[in-house]
Amino acid sequence: MIYRIVSKRLGEVGAEWHPSSSRDLMFCLAAGLVVPAEESTQKPKKSSTIKKAPKE
Amino acid sequence: MATSTYLSNPKVQVGAAIGSITDITDQVSAATLTVTKEALEDTAFGSTSRTMTAGLFSNTLTLTVYASYASSESYSVLSALLGTKCTIKVNPNDASDSATNPGFILTDTYLAAIPVINASLGELSTWEIEFQGGVYSVDTTA
Repeated sequence: MIYRIVSKRLGEVGAEWHPSSSRDLMFCLAAGLVVPAEESTQKPKKSSTIKKAPKE
Repeated sequence: MATSTYLSNPKVQVGAAIGSITDITDQVSAATLTVTKEALEDTAFGSTSRTMTAGLFSNTLTLTVYASYASSESYSVLSALLGTKCTIKVNPNDASDSATNPGFILTDTYLAAIPVINASLGELSTWEIEFQGGVYSVDTTA
């Protein structure tokens, strides 16, 4: 799984990050330094618009 | 005359391992890395003075850290290391590792305690953090 840096303390924000060990991964997730790539690239869904009923 | 104004702009990084060390420089106001090689007495019969020989390294690093509970700051970073063997690196300044800016590294140093609250009215909260033991090395190459 790919992770992305979300804190400048670890490196460039948005850059891909690959854990070199499970210890690295646990630390960086717990400290809020990285997130799984899917989560960081997810965009909020657009709210659905209410369609108006056609005029008679 | 050689002088060093210490801690004017050092760099402090901590993490689970060297590959994930994170910069907490802007939350640290003091850092002391003490490298000790234990002295073992090897005085023998016939000696007229005590003599010592080198034993094991016994290293400690103490940090004075401003308490911050914001995301990715001191509480978040250090609490993830509590009770683990971790890595810490301190450079005299913010530049790359070199002979004149060596990166002092403690690997597998143990963080036993964090004073999660050290609150005094009207004062900026700080923590004294001690990392115990660990393997000492110096990185002088960028």
